[in-house]
This record gives sequence, structure tokens and C-alpha cells, in this order.
Amino acid sequence: MAEVKTEIPKPLPEITPITQSFWEAAAKRRLLMQRCSDCQSWVWCPRPACVECGSEKLAWTPVNGRGRVFAFTVIREVVGRALRGFAGDIPYVTAWIDLEEGPRICSNIVQCPIEKVTIGMPVEVVFEEAGRGIFLPKFRPQ
Amino acid sequence: MSLRGKAAIVGIGETPVDRLGSKPGEPRKSTAEYLSWAVRLALEDAGLTKKDLDGQGLAAIYTTNHSQPFWPEEAANILGIAPAVSLAGGNGGASGVSLLGHAAAMIDAGIVDLILVVSAAAPFSEHGRSRAEPADTRDFEMPFGVMGPNCKISFVMSRYMHESGMTAEHFGKIAVTARYHATLNPDAYLRKPLTLEEYKNSRLISDPIRLYDCVLPANGGKAYIIASRERAKTLRRPPVYLLGWGERNNASAGPRSNANPLITGIRESGKTAFEMAGVSHKDIDLLALYDDYIPIVMLQIEDLGFCGKNDREFFEKTDFTIKGDLPIQTGGGMINCGQPSTTGGMLHVIEVVRQLRGEGGGRQVPDAKYGITTGLGAVNYGKNFGCTAAAILGKNP
Repeated sequence: MAEVKTEIPKPLPEITPITQSFWEAAAKRRLLMQRCSDCQSWVWCPRPACVECGSEKLAWTPVNGRGRVFAFTVIREVVGRALRGFAGDIPYVTAWIDLEEGPRICSNIVQCPIEKVTIGMPVEVVFEEAGRGIFLPKFRPQ
Repeated sequence: MSLRGKAAIVGIGETPVDRLGSKPGEPRKSTAEYLSWAVRLALEDAGLTKKDLDGQGLAAIYTTNHSQPFWPEEAANILGIAPAVSLAGGNGGASGVSLLGHAAAMIDAGIVDLILVVSAAAPFSEHGRSRAEPADTRDFEMPFGVMGPNCKISFVMSRYMHESGMTAEHFGKIAVTARYHATLNPDAYLRKPLTLEEYKNSRLISDPIRLYDCVLPANGGKAYIIASRERAKTLRRPPVYLLGWGERNNASAGPRSNANPLITGIRESGKTAFEMAGVSHKDIDLLALYDDYIPIVMLQIEDLGFCGKNDREFFEKTDFTIKGDLPIQTGGGMINCGQPSTTGGMLHVIEVVRQLRGEGGGRQVPDAKYGITTGLGAVNYGKNFGCTAAAILGKNP
């Protein structure tokens, strides 16, 4: 039997009613997050109501896409069948980025040699197409 | 409500752990077999039979590779018992400690006077089952290649090193201590002594996490039986009393969208447990801390109040061995005894029972009267553990 080379897909987000606005904006290269119109708290990840005060008045609000690396790791091994599609990318950097407005977002640091990534490094958002019309917000050095 | 001295652990059962099924063609055991085996051992230890469990309580812990919504009923069905109350452990690795309190409260309310707490998992033998992920993980972590807890705890550890100045020497000391205790424990899986150099030279999995920072996944089953104080006195084993207990889930040190990931819910669950037990830190003879990763052991020592945050000097000076000032991980911990998914969290409860009964053999802490144990489960987006629980057990009520 001839060997068939198949590319293992990477997992994509499910677009749910709560997250739809986020992904629609991302496809237009805009980063939105929910903000409570009553207590002004930022809410991330997306929620049906404010996780601080309970208000349902959440507004999708633009953030400027700039922040700093709060913590990071270099992924060197695949763990779990669901993530085998990342094998070809190893080693790569995943990070927590604290945005200037406050929320902490989990993403990748791209367009930067691994050994240059540091905690506190200023970064800015860049959108990468991931398939099915979904654009993932990733971060590169400012 | 205080649960102090209202209930006691009267039986423990642990199957050996293995990794059967990790290689093609190996004989395998199912989750049901490990479950049944652990329960038989716990019943034998307590001097009870299966019949004694009819009309009593059953608590079964959901596991990641064999989860269905009616799991406590399936567990009762596997065992052939008819519980008067069924509890589910849904707090992941924290469940074994969480259920101590849930079970003791049922017993204190007079609903039942015995509760069997059981957990089993066979991730190597029953691989291929799909697991559901929380929406945050599915939508906002996995698409970025976040490799599960290894990656998420690496975020916490990288920040911990940045803020505290802890180095591989500090983490290595904890790993070497736990392995030293494992060499004294005939039931441990990894028993070859580990040196600091070997720790430092172990391969990076997800910087800064190294191989010897990580727990060892395994198959296995564990069970304990908890009874009312009155019933405990009639049974054959020396009772080990629940003196203090606390649980705190979905804790957030700071705003939920930007919390301090170096403070865990153990700060609150531990405080509640200490207050209920009415003992102080200096009374505690041993710590059995949830240890899926080495840095987490250190954060919990801080959050329980045995030292301040980022206290490098404390970690440098303290002897954490059974001969030392503050014995931790006296049986080697999950890192050396194996983690059968969420069953792993039962290990530490069982180790404290052994120590307080004086059954520690070569790893016995002399004259141990009080032990504290913790459980942790789930790793939340941008923070640390979603589920936390702490319990203080004592030789006397």
C-alpha cells in the first residue's frame, strides 16, 4: 500500500455565541475584549456576564494590541494526540502577555528568535490565518 | 460548622501502579479492575466486607480517561453495592482531599456512618478515549499549541523564577528530597536515588520545566474508608481523625482577567483547615502536598504559611527530609509513586494515614501526630489551579 502523506491539522477554536464577536473582529485584524459597562472591569476569556460584578452589560471593546510578556515557555515536546499538528513547529514559544489595558492573554511570540524572548519584553499583536477563516492573535516584538 | 474530630479514616487501599498498555501487545487492565482491586484492599485493611457498604456512602472520582456523567452509579454497579448516598468527585486531583470534607459532613449530619471514597484510572490501558476540555482551553489555549499542564505550569514557574530568584538548585533540592523518600518506600515506582546534577541535566520539556519536575503518569486505583468517630472506635485499625479541612475553588488573587498566578487557593483552603483543627504550624509533623510539578510544592509551602512568598533563604536552609525540620513528600509523592490521572491525589491522604498509624517503615517520621495534605485540580487560563483543598489529619481526635 502506498504511503499517503497527510498533514495532521492543528485544533481550531469552536465559534460559539459568546466568542463569535471576538473571532469576527480578529478576522478584520482587530483585537476586542469584553468590558463591563457597570463596573468597568475587563472580562477575559469571554463570558455571559461580568465575572467581577455579575452585570450582563458587557461591551466588546477594542484594545490597542500592545503589552508585555508576563511569562513564557519554550515548547519542546508534543503531549497528547490532539496537539500532534504542532510537532513540526517545535521548538516554539507560548506566552502570557499582559496587555496595556490590563487583561492577560495566552498566545505565541512570533517573528523573534527564541533566545531573545524575555519576561517584560514589549510586544504587539499580529494576526495569523489558521484556516477556516479564523485569524489567531499572536504577538511579535514592538 | 466544624468537622473537627467528627470522622476518621479507618481503611486504606492502594493497588501497585503500572504503565501497562504503553507498549503494543502488553497485557492491560481496565479502570474497573483497578477500582475493584483498591476497594478490596481498603475493605481488608478496615476489617469490613462489601455487605457493610450497603446503605452507606460511596464517593467516586471522575477521571480524565474514563468519564461519563453517571460514574458514581457505574462504580457502585461495578462493585455490586447499594449506596444510601452517592457523591461524585469532580475536582480533579483535588478530589481525594475535597471528599474528606464532603464525606465527613454527610457523616456528621447522620446520613450514613461509613463512606467509601474510591478512584481508579488506566490512562495507558484505556487510551484512545476522547476527553472533553473546558471552553477556555479548547478555544484560547489549544489553538496556540499550549501543551496542557506542562505548558501552563511552565508559565507559573517562569514567573516564579523571575519574581523570587529561585533557580534549578532550589527546585532540584525538592526533587532530590522526594526521590530520597521514594528510595525508602517499597511501593514507590521510581526508587533509584537522584542527584542534584541529574536533576539539573534532565531534559527540558517546556522551559523551565524539566523531566524531573514532572509527575509520572500511571495506571492504578486507590481507596479509603471514612467512618463516624463512634463507628471508627469499633474497627480494627487505629483511626486517623480529620481535624481540619478547607476547600477553595476558582480562586483569583487579584482581578480575574489579571490575577497573581503565584498565589493559589491553598492560601484560603489551608487557612480554613488550620483554624478548624486548632493547631499551629509548629505542631505539623509532615506535609503531603499535591505534586504534579516541583515548583507547585514550593508555592504551596508558601501559601500554607510555613514561610513567606518568594522566601529563597527558607528553601535553602530547611531540611525537608524525614530527619529534618519540615518533612515533605515522605513517601516520595506522586512524582515518584505515579499519577493515575485524578486518582493521584488520593496518594497523599493515604501516606498521611500510614505515617500517623506509625506504618511508615524506613520512612517513618518519628512520633508523627499531625499531618497536612493538599489536593489541586485543573489549571485555569492565565492563573493557576482551579480546585484546591487542604486537610489536617491527627492521631488523636
